[in-house]
Amino acid sequence: MTAVGWLQIAIFAVIVGLLTHPLGGYLARVYAGERTFLSRLLTPVEAALYRIADVKPELEQSWYRYATAFLVFHLLGTAALYALLRVQSVLPFNPEQMPAVAPDLALNTAVSFVTNTSWQSYSGETTLSYASQMAGIAVQSFLSVASGIAVVIALIRGFARRRSATIGNFWVDLTRGTLYVLLPLCIVAALFLVTSGVPQTLAPPAEVTTLEGTTQVIARGPVATQEVIKLMSGDGGGFFNANSAHPFENPTPLTNLAEVVLIMVLGAALTNCFGRMIGSERQGWILLAVMAILFGLGVSGIYPLEAAGNPVLAALQVDQTPNSQQPGGNMEGKEVRFGIAGSALFANASTASSDGAVNSMHDSFLPLSGGILLANMMVDEVIVGAPGSGLFGMLLFCIVTVFLGGLMIGRTPEYVGKKIGAVEIKMAILALIWVPAATLGLTAVASVAPAGLAGLGNGGPHGYSEMLYAYTSATATNGSAFAGLNANTPFYNLTLAVAMFIGRFFVIVSVLAVAGALATQPIIPRSAGTLPTDGALFVGFLLGVIVIVGGLTYLPALALGPIVEHLQLSGGVLY
Amino acid sequence: MLDFIMLALIVVCFVLAQAYAGLCNQLLAFAPEQNDKADSP
Repeated sequence: MTAVGWLQIAIFAVIVGLLTHPLGGYLARVYAGERTFLSRLLTPVEAALYRIADVKPELEQSWYRYATAFLVFHLLGTAALYALLRVQSVLPFNPEQMPAVAPDLALNTAVSFVTNTSWQSYSGETTLSYASQMAGIAVQSFLSVASGIAVVIALIRGFARRRSATIGNFWVDLTRGTLYVLLPLCIVAALFLVTSGVPQTLAPPAEVTTLEGTTQVIARGPVATQEVIKLMSGDGGGFFNANSAHPFENPTPLTNLAEVVLIMVLGAALTNCFGRMIGSERQGWILLAVMAILFGLGVSGIYPLEAAGNPVLAALQVDQTPNSQQPGGNMEGKEVRFGIAGSALFANASTASSDGAVNSMHDSFLPLSGGILLANMMVDEVIVGAPGSGLFGMLLFCIVTVFLGGLMIGRTPEYVGKKIGAVEIKMAILALIWVPAATLGLTAVASVAPAGLAGLGNGGPHGYSEMLYAYTSATATNGSAFAGLNANTPFYNLTLAVAMFIGRFFVIVSVLAVAGALATQPIIPRSAGTLPTDGALFVGFLLGVIVIVGGLTYLPALALGPIVEHLQLSGGVLY
Repeated sequence: MLDFIMLALIVVCFVLAQAYAGLCNQLLAFAPEQNDKADSP
């Protein structure tokens, strides 16, 4: 470990912390329908879109109609992206004459990007045309995150409203999120990346003559625009197979820092937006504090582990100390320009945030580091998470926490003025149970199915970790890959698509049901019997619930993979 | 042919999700009564 490494991590934390408050305020104004500094420019565009789509913005929806609109919108999006991938060979903007994507891979990819997962069983530069990248992948990256934010805004309205039968209008929330939040931020960030060396072109791949005299084809394309939404959306699907390890996606240590900030900033700002919308910013800071502690625990585990290096190499007396000649530590699968700290920070942010972008190969991390990356995803992506899904996951845990607190002190549980009754807790538990059920169930199937075992790149506990990581990543809508697993087979394409579908849509339907149930209630005043949710006690309580629920659910699975691999690594056994 | 199967799979998955939403809606129909019964001491 080096001081510069820790400094990078500290700078990242300070930037995200400083941006949370102003961006949270902006988000609150946007979703409340108030004027912003972009209103003069965007209000006519917004009004025109409503006219074209025959949307009446003043008409609000019940939770059921909101959920139906959400599902119908994404059904059409999935079908459209599937069709685009299947006919890309006859469409323009295909300079490399890419053929149609295979049906099972097209299904997997369509579900992947519509669900904000961006699991990629393909290499972007050798599979997709520019039209598919721009009109398919990038568009769904925008829409999937805009709809995710819409869902959490609906849930926040459930907390904030008194005796209301409605939770907002899905079409309005979707449109405002895309127009006022995502597009402006992406334009600014894309220009920064272009000035840093990220390509943005429709020209075909460059053919160059190398120093040895051979010809090399260098893939390029409209990378910068897709890169930004890939990071900000919690999507993570790269233009290139190497994702953010590729120098055209992430050329410098400065872009690396900017990319990690982009991954986390919207999710962090939504906690402040939550606080403002319920009338207590402190409640938002409490949630951010819990997220920050969990994030800090993760990066404080991964960075020292990776910096210490591989114990097998240490036993062979290989020098793994950092010095002017080498970065030191476990550099397998990492980019020299980012080093251990830049890789550990990115990996922790990517798995904590549900983004799933990678700037290093997680398969090459030491077993315990890989276990931490898995654990980040296994706690339902509540450590900031993707914009929207991270916060609604955290709010579900808040509901469970006050419920447990209520059981302990014999009072009806309350959270931010709303009673948590039988229906709310049932819906919250249903929402939380879908992810582990799909993850562990499908991993179990893959562990015994010949088609599942055929895709493994390694044996023993490492091979098991590859499968567990794949289904955890898919169900948690993270999308990062452990590598090593050949997932482009009909078995993995279909089962991972099922995992992504359950992890996104069944969870969100449950969340919207919670929102609907909460919105109908009055807001009750705080009393002597109310468990305080704006202090250090609640931070500790919430942390405990997240860790214990996650631990009880997944510890046996982690023990079979990264934990046993770590113990065997100490004995010199490798997989 | 495979395309029709894949598109049918997509539709079936969304129909299942919509059916799940319908079930949740039925459950919520009883929500006010249940919450009224559960009161703070």
